Amino acid sequence: MNRIQTKLREDKKLLSIYFTAGYPNIDDTVTIIKGLEKNGVDMIEIGLPFSDPLADGPTIQASSTQALKNGMTTEVLFNQLKDIRKTVNIPLIIMGYFNPMFQYGVETFCKKCQDIGIDGLIIPDLPVDVYHEEYQAVFEKYGLINVFLITPQTSDERIRYIDSISNGFIYMVSSASTTGTQSGFGEEQTNYFERIGSMKLKNPQIIGFGISNNETFSQATQHAKGAIIGSAFVKYVTNADGIKTIGSFVKSILN
Amino acid sequence: MKLKICGMKYQENMTQVATLQPDYLGFIFYDKSARNFDTSIPQISNSIKKTGVFVNEDLDNVIQKINTFNLQAVQLHGEESPEYCKKLESQNIEIIKVFSIKDEFNFEVLKPYENVCDYFLFDTKGKLPGGNGYTFNWSVLNNYPSTKSFFLSGGIGLERIEDIKKFQQSKASKYCYALDVNSKFEIEPGLKNISILKEFKNKLSNNIMNYNVDEKGYYGEFGGAFIPEMLYPNVEELRQNYLKIMAEPDFKKEFDKLLKDYVGRPSPLYFAKRLSEKYNTKVYLKREDLNHTGAHKINNTIGQILMAKRLGKHRIIAETGAGQHGVATATVCALMGLECIVYMGEIDIARQAPNVARMKMLGAKVVPALSGSRTLKDATNEAIRDWINNPVDTHYIIGSAIGPHPYPDMVTKFQAVISEEIKWQLKEQEGRENPDYVVACIGGGSNAAGTYYHYLHEKDVNIIAVEAAGLGVGSGESAATSVLGKEGIIHGCKTLLMQTNDGQITEPYSISAGLDYPGVGPMHAHLCKTGRAEFMAVTDNDAMNAGLDLCKLEGIIPAIESSHALAIFEQRTFKPEDVVVVSLSGRGDKDLNNYIEYFEI
Ligand SMILES: Cc1ncc(COP(=O)(O)O)c(C=O)c1O
Repeated sequence: MNRIQTKLREDKKLLSIYFTAGYPNIDDTVTIIKGLEKNGVDMIEIGLPFSDPLADGPTIQASSTQALKNGMTTEVLFNQLKDIRKTVNIPLIIMGYFNPMFQYGVETFCKKCQDIGIDGLIIPDLPVDVYHEEYQAVFEKYGLINVFLITPQTSDERIRYIDSISNGFIYMVSSASTTGTQSGFGEEQTNYFERIGSMKLKNPQIIGFGISNNETFSQATQHAKGAIIGSAFVKYVTNADGIKTIGSFVKSILN
Repeated sequence: MKLKICGMKYQENMTQVATLQPDYLGFIFYDKSARNFDTSIPQISNSIKKTGVFVNEDLDNVIQKINTFNLQAVQLHGEESPEYCKKLESQNIEIIKVFSIKDEFNFEVLKPYENVCDYFLFDTKGKLPGGNGYTFNWSVLNNYPSTKSFFLSGGIGLERIEDIKKFQQSKASKYCYALDVNSKFEIEPGLKNISILKEFKNKLSNNIMNYNVDEKGYYGEFGGAFIPEMLYPNVEELRQNYLKIMAEPDFKKEFDKLLKDYVGRPSPLYFAKRLSEKYNTKVYLKREDLNHTGAHKINNTIGQILMAKRLGKHRIIAETGAGQHGVATATVCALMGLECIVYMGEIDIARQAPNVARMKMLGAKVVPALSGSRTLKDATNEAIRDWINNPVDTHYIIGSAIGPHPYPDMVTKFQAVISEEIKWQLKEQEGRENPDYVVACIGGGSNAAGTYYHYLHEKDVNIIAVEAAGLGVGSGESAATSVLGKEGIIHGCKTLLMQTNDGQITEPYSISAGLDYPGVGPMHAHLCKTGRAEFMAVTDNDAMNAGLDLCKLEGIIPAIESSHALAIFEQRTFKPEDVVVVSLSGRGDKDLNNYIEYFEI
């Protein structure tokens, strides 16, 4: 069983954290991963930076731009992660846009992920249909779980379709927005969370976008298996002591 | 199916073969071969993968050749082991391993290679390691046990076309990715016969060639809708409705009336007498510069604002580079009383002050794009992000034939009025609807798409697409996407785009803000790839001079974008009886500052 699937069976609410690889400094990638695992984070999304991240707000855009300036590339990331499975056991997911993977060669990319011990991918601009028709076989061949997004605007029919193609979890985008633009959840979100909850999907849901603190984490996990924090953590590691004090960030979310 | 042309030897011949846009060009590094490669490779399109062919070569030599010639693939023709292939993995190139087949083949030998190469290539078994000049029995491949894509090679020539078509329908071809041709297309070893190659390529793609969008939103392999799920409902709503709405008599009537009374259409088709005399051919100018707001852009914004109204949207967003599309959008929003927000790169705002002022006077809000390189590409990103954040009440008016399906097709159809008019206007003046050439500059490709549209399937009409070479195609400061770009994904579609090897989108350069875009619309990528259109590149300098020339010869000050199209007459000759229609996409008012600075007027 894939590490993501094993993790999803645990009887607890999951905290997943996104960070941009190669940010704030090129060699921070592994340090951050280890720091997150040590402090009890359940799952990590490693952001492969892209020049034109359409679905991201200012925080992740800026971290991506900086990471690229620092020299981050697909190959550099794979090299940094080469020995990651000697020490890290929690599920690792690469989140990135499709073009860099396409240029690397989708099959080569997947194979490399398998070699390293990556468990899944999140590719916001790879549409479900294209994945289904062209790439699903390759992803499965290399044991990778592809995670799809749904939003408050996604129709029930499409959610069922996405559920049928998924074999890990469904990434529930909390509201119609790019990353890092929300603050707090209102009634509209709660209704949406409840609507999805009542659909009894085969895949558990993890909520992301707009989760930044203990309050939003608790709200989200009342309705879902877990929650993902991105921009808030990227902002946190931007601070001088951020990387050294990952523990206090995680504590502030979980306690 | 992809095409690889192998055994290149002579520089000029390489350049000619490259214009046929094969997917791979092969260079043989094997001194026992009559086609052994011993020169350098001229500048050819990045989308053509340069492939080194080796026979039991020392690994270090292979790596050295990869670096020296910037190879994107290697083809291994000897008894190279799986370990050997594995060692090449870190080079980040495609690895093609060759196996020779006669009447039967033991597919077991492929197994150890499954994970260490990207493709197999099946060649005819004969005396030589490749290049024996006859085909093997392709039905052997009926038993192909793998799912790895392969190249079919060995003695393929023009006379095999029918066999290839049969093969394509057979089970054996399921994983056939490319055809590899060589000796059957030669005048002498290493010297390819261009016209036979061209005929072969045309025959391969014939019957099936369609230059319009297919129902899934693709032009050949280009197009589609590579968008985040957050945009899916917006784009899907548009996709389901755009053709229906455009077909409504009511819509057509309103569109036509506005084009006539508000835009001032039809725009004249003007026979440029003195320009024609200078170049000894018949040049007609399609005067989009005379449209309201000064360019072709308004044809599209009129269409899209009517579309937005019928979809019940009341907030309009747009991106703009030079500000032409921004002005055209602000104009139609004023006309319809809708809210208008235009995203524009911070750098462009500074260099296009008059257009920023125009937009503001027209009631639009101009929002600076502060991310990335702060130019058109980033303004487009910002507009897309705005749409993600406002999925219900907002319509995004894209300014060129780019973006996720259905945008390229919708924009093309609104701009198609250009070629619709050329047809009857030329008939009036020349007694025939079809010119010999249609010429247009390409940024994203909307004026070009409109100029070509009704001629795409008219075989006697040659299509010329003119890209901005900036300071020169090889200078590092250029926007010639068809040469410098590779297949990839930008702003929601698969097309040719300028990018690093790592897939990061790069910043183009052109003196003309409207051509300063790192991609081309997917239709044009298809026209380029299939060879339907001839792509030319014009430098800043040549464009500026052609622009000034038009002022002096015809009393027309053209937009710098359009000047690029005019500059081709310096690059190539036409016959005296040829009728060449050039899209004069815009007027030069917006560029006066550029002209003043450039010529120190
Ligand atoms: C006058 C003019 N011509 C051409 C273009 C290039 O755009 P497209 O390739 O979409 O026609 C522009 C874009 O701003 C323009 O203003």
